[in-house]
Formats: sequence, C-alpha cells, structure tokens
Amino acid sequence: MEQELKRYRVFEAGLILAFSLIIIFSFKLQIFEGKKYYRLAEENRIKKKYIMAPRGKIFDRNGKEIANTRPGFYASIIPALIDSFTIEKLAQILNIDKSRIIAKINLEKNPYVSLKIAHDITIAQLSLLEESIEELRGIEVGVEPLRNYPYNELFSHALGYVDEITKEEIKNLPSYKTGDYIGRSGLEKVYESHLKGKDGIEYIEVDVRGKEVGRLSEYRPLPVEPGKDLWTTLDLELAESTAVFMKEYERGAAVAFNPQNGEVYLLFSKPVFDPNKFISGLSDSEWQALNNPKVAPLLNRATMSCYPIGSTIKPFIALAALDANLIKVEKTFSPCKGVYYLGKRPFRCWKIHGQLSLIDAIINSCDIYFYQLGRFIGIDIIAEYLNKFGFGKETGIDLIPENRGILPDRKWFENKYGKNWTEGHIFNLSIGQGDILATPLQLACAYSVFANDGKIAIPHLTKIDRKQKREILIDKKAVETIKKALSGVVARGTGVLARVLDIEICGKTGTAENPHGEDHSIFVGFAPAQNPEILVCVIVENAGHGGSIAAPIAGKIIKTFLLKNKLITVK
Amino acid sequence: MKKIDYSILMIAIILSAIGLLMIYSTGGTGYFLKQFIWLGITFIITILISQIPPRIWMNFSPFLYAITILLLFAVLIFSTSYPKRWFNLMGFSLQPSEFAKLGTVFILGYHLSHKKRLENFKDFLLPLLMVLIPAGLVFLEPDFGAAQIFIPIMVAMLYWAGMPGEKIFIFFSPLISAITSFSIFVWLGFISLFGLYLYLRKRTSDILYGFIANPLVGLMTPLIWNSLKVYQQKRIISFLSPWLDPKGMSWQIIQSKIAIGSGRIFGKGFLSGTQKRLEFLPERHTDFIFSCIGEEFGFIAIVVISLLYIYLFYKLLNLARTTKNRFASLVTIGFMTWFAYQSFINMGMTIGILPVTGVPLPFISYGGSALLACFTAIGIVLAISKTRYEY
Repeated sequence: MEQELKRYRVFEAGLILAFSLIIIFSFKLQIFEGKKYYRLAEENRIKKKYIMAPRGKIFDRNGKEIANTRPGFYASIIPALIDSFTIEKLAQILNIDKSRIIAKINLEKNPYVSLKIAHDITIAQLSLLEESIEELRGIEVGVEPLRNYPYNELFSHALGYVDEITKEEIKNLPSYKTGDYIGRSGLEKVYESHLKGKDGIEYIEVDVRGKEVGRLSEYRPLPVEPGKDLWTTLDLELAESTAVFMKEYERGAAVAFNPQNGEVYLLFSKPVFDPNKFISGLSDSEWQALNNPKVAPLLNRATMSCYPIGSTIKPFIALAALDANLIKVEKTFSPCKGVYYLGKRPFRCWKIHGQLSLIDAIINSCDIYFYQLGRFIGIDIIAEYLNKFGFGKETGIDLIPENRGILPDRKWFENKYGKNWTEGHIFNLSIGQGDILATPLQLACAYSVFANDGKIAIPHLTKIDRKQKREILIDKKAVETIKKALSGVVARGTGVLARVLDIEICGKTGTAENPHGEDHSIFVGFAPAQNPEILVCVIVENAGHGGSIAAPIAGKIIKTFLLKNKLITVK
Repeated sequence: MKKIDYSILMIAIILSAIGLLMIYSTGGTGYFLKQFIWLGITFIITILISQIPPRIWMNFSPFLYAITILLLFAVLIFSTSYPKRWFNLMGFSLQPSEFAKLGTVFILGYHLSHKKRLENFKDFLLPLLMVLIPAGLVFLEPDFGAAQIFIPIMVAMLYWAGMPGEKIFIFFSPLISAITSFSIFVWLGFISLFGLYLYLRKRTSDILYGFIANPLVGLMTPLIWNSLKVYQQKRIISFLSPWLDPKGMSWQIIQSKIAIGSGRIFGKGFLSGTQKRLEFLPERHTDFIFSCIGEEFGFIAIVVISLLYIYLFYKLLNLARTTKNRFASLVTIGFMTWFAYQSFINMGMTIGILPVTGVPLPFISYGGSALLACFTAIGIVLAISKTRYEY
C-alpha cells in the first residue's frame, strides 16, 4: 500500500512539474516578454512602403511641357523577407549584378522597408517576374512616376538630367533614400528641392511570403506631396529652330535672352545628350561615351566653356576709351597697311583698311586700329572696364556651376609672364586673342550694356522673382555712339549676313584663333536696335569666320523670334 | 455504486470544443466541418464503448494488439502518400499509428497484469519487444513524433505495475548515454557518476549491465545519427541552436514563440491572430494549434487549458489508484501517460522549451484518427469508472 502511494505521488509530482513548466514559460513569453514579441509580430506583418512623389513639371515660356513624368515599372524587395535564391533569380531576370542588389540591401538599416532595386524595367522583365512571383519571397513590382523629357535632347543642357542617388551621397542627404532620383545638372540640379516633392509613406500588411494583403488603417499614411512645377523663360520653338540652324556643325553654343529683363529664351549647347537615358540607368559603355573628353556632351558650352572672344571685344575697348575720356570719336591712328610692327614683331590685320575712325574701325573690325587704341589707353583701363562689363565674373544665371572665364590685368600678366611682359600682350588682348577667355553667356551679358543703355542684364531661366539687371557707371552718350557702330556692322560691315529684312540689328562678329584647328566663329547681336527684345550670342567651334558662319545663324534665330512675337511681319 | 464518472467525458468534450473553435479560426469552415463530423461519430462510439465491460478488452488485448500491428504493416505497404502515415477511406484518412497506441496500452496492461513480480532485467524484455514493434514500424513511416510516445507509456506502466524506479533508471541509462555521447566530456562525466552510483548499490547484475550497455550505446549513437534523415537531424540541431538558421526549422519555433508572446495576457481576440492569419505560423490547425490559442486568447487561455488537462489527468490518476482491477488500473495509467506526455511535448514545443517533434495536441488538434483514438480511450476509462470496485 505504501509503495502504491509512493508511485501515485511520483505521477502527481510529474504532472504538476510538467504543467508548471508550461505555465511558467508561457508567463515569461506572454507577460515578461509580451511587448517584445508583440513588436516582433507587428514587424512580421507591417512593412513600410514609400510612394514616389512625381517630380514637378517644367514648362517653357508658353506653357509647353518640356519635362514631365511618365509611368514606369519598378521592382522592389523587402530585405527582411528575401532569401539568396530570390536574389539570384532576381539578378538573372533583371540582368543586373547580384552584388549590386546585396549592396543595396546592406545600405538600408530597416529591413522592413520595401526597397527599390530596379527602375523602369521592361515589360518582358515584368512578366518574367510576375510569372515566378509565387516562388520568390518578398518581391514586389509596381508603377511609379518617372522623369520624362518629351523633347529628348533638345533641352539637355538647360534642364540637365536626374539619376539615381549614390550611397555616398545619401550619407550627407538624410532626406534621400536608396532608389531616389536627384537632379544632376541644369535646372534639375538648381531647383532640386522645388521639383522633388515629398514621397508618401504607406503601411502595408504582408503575409509570410511578403505578398501585400492590404493597407493598414491603424497606421497613419503620409500622403504624397508632388513636386512643384517650374515655369521657365525658355522658348520651345526657338530651341527647335536653333537645333536645325546648327545641324551641320558638331560643336558650339547659342544663347538668347531679353536684355531688358534677363529672361533667357535659349540656352543651347552642342553636342547634346538624351537625359531620358539616365532614368533606367546607363551601361558602362554609354557612361564612358558621355564622358569622352574630346566630345564632352555633358558639358554645357554656353556657361562652362571658355573661348577666346576675338573681335567681339573691340566695342568694349572703344567704349572704355570714350567713357574714360581718353579719345574722341574722330580719333585716328597710323593707317592699316595689313601689318603693324611692334619692334621687329609683326602684328597683322585680316585686311588692308587704310586710315579709319573709331566707328569705321569697329564696323570693319580693323585689328591695327585696336592694337594702337589698346596700347594708348593701357592695360589698367582695359581691365577695369572689362571687369565692369562682367568679364572674369559669374553672370549670376540660375545654373550651377558657371565658368568665370579669364580676365587678365596687370597683376595677372605679371604673375604669368614675370615683370617683362610686353605690349604685345596688350595688342593681343585688344583684339580678344591670347589670354582673355569668356563663356558665350558672359559675352552675351556684356553686350547687354549696349542694348540696355548701360545696364548689364542678369540672365535667368525661371520666372521666380530675382534681380533682372545691374547698373554700371557709364556715359550714356558713349554707349549710344558704339551702338551706332554695331548697327553699322550688320548693315554694311562684317556682320551683313545677320541681316533680317529691314530690321535694325546691332551686332559684332568675332573670329577666335585657337590651338584646336580652324577658328571659332562668333557673333553677338541684338534686335530691334531701339528697345531690343532679344540678344543673341552664337559660337560655332572650328567653323571659320564669325561673319560667315555664326552671323547668319544668329540672324535666323533673331528672325524666328521676331516673327513669332509679331515684331516683324513677312510681306 | 455503479456510476460512470461523466466529469472525465465533460473535460474531454470541453477540450474538443475549444479545439473545434480553433480549427475554425486556423483552418476555416472546411476543416471545421470535417472535425465536427469526426467528433459526432466519435461521441457515439465513446458512449457505446463506455457500455462494454473492461474485462472484454482484457480478453481481446492480444487480438487487438495484433490488428493494430497488422494495420501498421499495411500502411507501410499500401499507403500511396509520403510519409506513409495514412489510409484514405471515403474522403477521411485513417492514421494507424494512433490506434497502435491503444493496442500497445492493451497488450502492456494484459502482460503486466499477469506478472506477480517485476524486478529483474529480463522482465523488461517482453514489454520492450511489445513496444519496439509498433514504435519501429511508426518510425519507418517515418513519423518520429508518434514513434517516441510508446517509450514513456511503457515506462509509466512498468513503474505502475511495480518495477522499482532505480531499476528503470539503470535499465534506461543507455538512453542517457546516447544523448550525452554527442559530447565526449559530458558522456564521461555521466559514466563516472553513474558508475559510482552502481558501485554503491553493490549489485552484480546492475554493474554488469550498466558497464556493458552504456559504452556500447555511447559509441553506437554517433553511427546511428549519421543514418538519420536530414530533416530529422535538422530538427534536433535546430532545437539545440534555434537562432542558427532563422529560415529553417527554428523559424517555426521562432514564429510560434512570437505568436504566443504577442498574445500577451488576453490575446488578440478570436480570428484576429496576425501570425496565424498571415501564415507566419506553420501547421496552424494541427501541431501548432496551441500557438494560435496563445495568440488569440492569451495567457488566460493557456492557464485554463493547462488546468483542464491537469484536472483530466488527475481524475485518471485517481481512477487508476482506486480501480481494483489490475488490468483496468494499468490501462488507465497508460492512457493518462499517453495524453499527458503528448500534451506536454506539444505545448513545450510551441513555447520553445522542447524540440519540434510533430506531435498533435490531444483532443484539440485537427485530425480524425487522433480524436477517435483518444475518445476510444476515454470510453474505456468511463467503463472502468463504472466498474472500478470490481475485481
């Protein structure tokens, strides 16, 4: 009997021990660690998903969309759910490197966030993914608004382009995340914060395979804030026409703006690139082609390339001399015999002009007159005035970066050539050769001093309020005198090919010698001469004389503009 | 005093009702209806069985055991599924391993009730053979979860029949050798302590057995380990280090712990378990149904179910003690051990303190054969309660 009771107690104790263990460990799980496990359960099912904000549209001055968005398919993953099989399969379907996917996964700290790994996937890739979506865990495909440039390469330099942000950049830009786009150049870069908008956040419930089951009402979503639209001053038709006018030339730039208020109509640079190509990502060979230094399609030649400005400098030298009261308009120097000797060194003119006054020297672009005028007024006056007109400085356009060019002065020459730099340097400077360099936009802005009665336009591409021009101290009469000369250049001088019907156009040709081959052809001009509406600067690289190549292109641009705005009519 | 103890039936029915509720929550209407039909059939059978005097079961024990063994052979030969666990019968599947538990309890009860004295190693041999035949056949299906149940049933019935505890410990010491043999130092530690114990007992047969069997098993186990199926090895490994492979076996344990833990005190509410609904939980209506209970009804439900089980087992234990008939008493202990061991192993698995062995929760988990086998046992226990004062 005692034995039986003992056995009974052993069973009893065993039962109590076993179920006490169950209750104690359940207590530990549910009461002590309940909060932790509740959080883990929530993390299991709740995933954060970003909804891409559509980038703001960009309009031309007439309300035409020159940048908008289009729907594109993306593939995204939830790192917490993904396995190596899925990564492999995904890499194979999307034709990207496995390590790139893994790198992106490692970048994101929260493994419960849906992570975009490929933008703009093709329909074929999409259907392959959809086919195998049952066996792939944690994969999602969807539609997002992608940047689209309806005119492809037409505005490549003015608008710039966007592409995917790199992991290094994200470290300094906490508001960005993997898979985001960022403006890289042009207006896309300058107005990035204006255009970008704010991505929405959605909390979705997923099942064990990572498939979306539904949205969660108990977590407040963050609505998408679309990027703001940007209204530019650019003119679509002018850009289209210019592309045609420049068709036969490989490299060059053209800018056109309203000299009175600085509104830029045209900012054209060649060679061009197609910014749409960046959206789905470039291949290595495509990227290398874009960075080929000999062609440099990404370089905005209108604001970033520095050219010797050739004879287009002459009106500024003349204006400086008049304004500083060093000469009168009637001033003459030794006649032009085609060559002028400084000591034993010959300085040539492109023609034998004979004796000329200041006005005629500008109209006929006589080098020998300006060699002597430059020497007469001296380096300090020249440098002071060129600085006033904006050479060697940024124009202030809303594009970054901007090249300042080079404006040599006495100190600059001394630094470069030592104490014994010669008058020969001033000779060269006076006809825009040698050391002075400027961007096409800088040159155009400097010419607004003539178009604007002594005020320098500050160019801008958007209608956002900003300063339109800056005043400089200059004798209005002197400006008027030179302006007459510029009118003569087009009417009967070197720039006759820029003539448009019977409109009075002021302008100046330039032929820039350069070490890369044939001369650069330059023309700067504005019209109508009274109350000018458009100021154009055209540079065609290695094309020849300014009067023969750049001048007719500028003329056509002016004509297109004036016709379009009904400032002239064709009879 | 001829009265059936209906409180035993009541608890079994309450547990089954909870099971039905949770099967609806985890498996939907389809599984719910199937289980409901099974429960109806089962209930009628239980009432019928409770009218059969226990003496008849004893007389038919060898025959019933033979039938269940034959069924186990048959399922190995004729089953078309893999693992070879089921027969398909008119839309319902029958699992012979569940009925083999009944047969084995009968034959052990039959054999042990005829034994006057149990004290020598040779008294282990016949019971061990009776158990190893069904256990081995079930293991071959393969169904390690069901195969393991036979051992504790035998141990409990031997002990209840009078085998001294020390003897059982010495007899099963090779099992401890087997487990500890994975680490040579642990095994050496066990062998030295065990040797000291045997030496102090000063019984030649014990010493002889202990010192031959233990080293033998200790060396054999690593060899047997390598012959195990990969998934069986994985289950054991994942139990030993659950965070090693979060997407594999231990993933189930982790998800089960998350489900139970996240239920906290009162649970997320009926049908609202997210771990269950979004299928993070594996085997929701069968092996891991307890995790869903923990998730949807919280700690309260776990305590209630544990208390219900304890009450049932306590009833059975007391019945076994008060029953005059030795066969009836042994069979009751066998049934109680079966239910208690299985529920402990299952619950322990879901809360992560025991390895995943694929054992259903008695009365609650989905499965007709298990339900029928359990309630057949309950029917027999009811009949025993009616005749408990008869010899």
